[in-house]
Amino acid sequence: MSELTWEHLRDLDCGAVRSLGDSWQSYTEQQLVHPERLRADVVGGHLSVEHYESDTAATVRDQIDMTADRYEDDLSDYARTRVATTLFEAADALEKEQAELEELVPLIEAHGMAIEGDRHEYDVNLSGDLHRAILTLDPPQWLCDRCGVRKPDGFWDWDTLKVLFDGADLYGTAVGLAGQYQDWLRAVMSRAHDADDEAAAALTAMSEHPGELPPELGAAYDDLVDDYREALSQEVADEARAIAEGASDLSPEQVNQWWEGLSEAEREALAEEHPEWVGPVDGIPAAARDTANRALLDDRIGGLDSRIADKERALAGMDPGSDAYERAKEELDGLETDRRELSDLRGEITDRDGGPGTHGETGQPYHLLGFDTEGSGKAIVAIGDPDTADNVNAYVPGTGGGLAGSGAGLLDRARTMASDAQFYRPDEQTATVLWMGYDAPDDLIEATDDRWAREGAENLERFTRGVRATAEGEPANLTLTGHSYGSTAVGAAASGQGVEADNLVFVGSPGVGVDTASALGVDEGGVWASTNDEDMIQYAPVHGNAPVNEDFGAGTFTSDSPREASSPWRFWEGATENHGSYWDTDESATGPNTASRQNQAYIVTGQEAMVR
Amino acid sequence: MRPAADLRRPRTAGRRARFALAAAALAILPAACSNPKGPMETAPPESAYTQAEAYAPMEAAAAEAVAALPDFPGFEQRSWAEMPCSRGGVDDPDYTRIEIRYRFSLPDSGAPLVRERYVELLRDHWTGLGYEITADDAVEGGERTDRNLVALREDGISLWYAVGGYAGLFIDSGCVPVSDAGDIEYVPPTGGVAPGGPGDLVGDYFPEGVPAAREAVAPFEPPADYGDHL
Repeated sequence: MSELTWEHLRDLDCGAVRSLGDSWQSYTEQQLVHPERLRADVVGGHLSVEHYESDTAATVRDQIDMTADRYEDDLSDYARTRVATTLFEAADALEKEQAELEELVPLIEAHGMAIEGDRHEYDVNLSGDLHRAILTLDPPQWLCDRCGVRKPDGFWDWDTLKVLFDGADLYGTAVGLAGQYQDWLRAVMSRAHDADDEAAAALTAMSEHPGELPPELGAAYDDLVDDYREALSQEVADEARAIAEGASDLSPEQVNQWWEGLSEAEREALAEEHPEWVGPVDGIPAAARDTANRALLDDRIGGLDSRIADKERALAGMDPGSDAYERAKEELDGLETDRRELSDLRGEITDRDGGPGTHGETGQPYHLLGFDTEGSGKAIVAIGDPDTADNVNAYVPGTGGGLAGSGAGLLDRARTMASDAQFYRPDEQTATVLWMGYDAPDDLIEATDDRWAREGAENLERFTRGVRATAEGEPANLTLTGHSYGSTAVGAAASGQGVEADNLVFVGSPGVGVDTASALGVDEGGVWASTNDEDMIQYAPVHGNAPVNEDFGAGTFTSDSPREASSPWRFWEGATENHGSYWDTDESATGPNTASRQNQAYIVTGQEAMVR
Repeated sequence: MRPAADLRRPRTAGRRARFALAAAALAILPAACSNPKGPMETAPPESAYTQAEAYAPMEAAAAEAVAALPDFPGFEQRSWAEMPCSRGGVDDPDYTRIEIRYRFSLPDSGAPLVRERYVELLRDHWTGLGYEITADDAVEGGERTDRNLVALREDGISLWYAVGGYAGLFIDSGCVPVSDAGDIEYVPPTGGVAPGGPGDLVGDYFPEGVPAAREAVAPFEPPADYGDHL
């Protein structure tokens, strides 16, 4: 658990951390000369077959070769991927938060506030001076300006009386501002602690799991070398499994380096023999994940077919009135639901010949980046290739989202977003991702709890870092579009874990967990929110300040309110049913929501100047 | 300057108000979710068509719009898309919303005839037919001006002539009851898109092949494969 205080972060020399990373990087490059010399000068030189032709000589050459390989692997895996990259990532992440702090702390101090409390949950409180100033009817100028009163000049005049009457408002305004600074500070420190913990874990794991060395030459060499070779191939498999199961401390960037360091044969073998270790992993390129996930999907459906057949046979021999029968029937229903939903998903992304399908309208190939049947189910489907696209837009659905919708309705929305992006920006490639990678609440009662968002935050953070890591060439302009509770999930990931995104778009948001765009850890110019005038969600921002509010600090864009009440007295109809209308989806909505779709497409494709 | 430094509304007061409103809203919303047909209505609003019935009048609406446009350069592609219908923010699997999308080619999309003149003509044409114009606006960009013209018919079908990077005509069904896939019949495209051709992007609805393409057999050409004829 990170011990970093805000003062540590403020005073940290990130440049020194980065220099250390540079040192390790150059050390790696210098050291790579040695195995090359061993191979060229020793194995291929004075110890070559031309000079020494015997079984022992062959064994020595093999041993040297293995030692050189091992040394290279360790340089790549430990010195470069783990040490240098970890230091670079930590320096980048901490420097970003340090910059936030450098902006925030002077604001706190300038407003007569103080940072107090534990480093894991700092409070920003009014200082004694500020308390006194308000109580003695001598509030600072900034506070008078915010409350729209003139600063009293020390006499009991009209201004003093007005301040007296506005005392509660002055106090509330000051406390409100302190609360916003507190949100911001906590978000900064949460992300800084996360970066610190990740770096510490990666470095610790390295020292705890040193790699095996080739056996020493000697009497037992022949017995040991086969085990070593087997362990070597097992090492790749073990690492792949650890990464996929979350037991490794590698970041998506490091996963990408690890993947790129594997031979083509190793990558193919992993995808073929263990698609479950390749398909869901952020940091592995989309094409490889797609291939693995499609194989995995076929396997999963085949496995469900077998289990369904077994269960049906078992049911045939049971008493239909028994409890055991009821239980078995319930299990069968669950299996059939999973089978149907996975089959629907496969149908959506597969062409008529059973090959990978494309979205007909935009001509973009589908990439299956993940799926799961646990809970409400998960599915991550890209329309287009996120690794090569100019823009990536990840749509994070809200309440009621799950695998079932991913095979139809949610993917339909994503397809519409993909079409709109192409329609409004035909000269660039935009990949649209349906990111149903968290267990969403089933209904609006569950949606009052932010735990679904918090639990999904790490997955979303890793997804964004994975997109950055696997980008070919310049990183894409990356947007996270959260709809309804999906915006709460985006907010939780952004403020808690930190996301690598250029834009955050909140539509129909019940709140994003923080009260100010500043706390989201991305450039505020890239934070957007929209709620149409008739959306009921604006009356129920249960997860913090509604991001459409002026004091939240996001850019706002227009969405029409296409749903009308069927009669004047049924006033609630428009409000409740406009909550899905950002893509014109409400029953009896009158006409398409051109403004929302158009504005979202402008943001996603980097044409923010056209947003209205 | 950060937005947080420019705050005007006290957070505590805002929160008090929000809690009260949230309580009021939540009193309504849970019922909206637990009952897929909605809290206040027992049945969804009636639509003039089912999904399967809607395609023909929608395509007819597209053809009728095209007929009003002189010197028509032809569309590049036609596609059939769907979006979910939701009630109280929760998707209703019994309903869908069709959007038929016609798109001009990129060069044609840049022509003033398509970007400006057709907007004016369609505005007059649809108004003359008694359709309600629900959106009519322009967005100025650095290199282009985008436009939207949306007309709503009494049967719930709406037409959106959109001018962006591309230009096109989108016909929207409103929410209609979902039909069985087998009940959806092929309707040939309009505006110069060849039925079953490369621009006729409705293949997802006809897994056995787009009917127009299946039927378009050259009568005097020998089949490539005699397997089905022997």
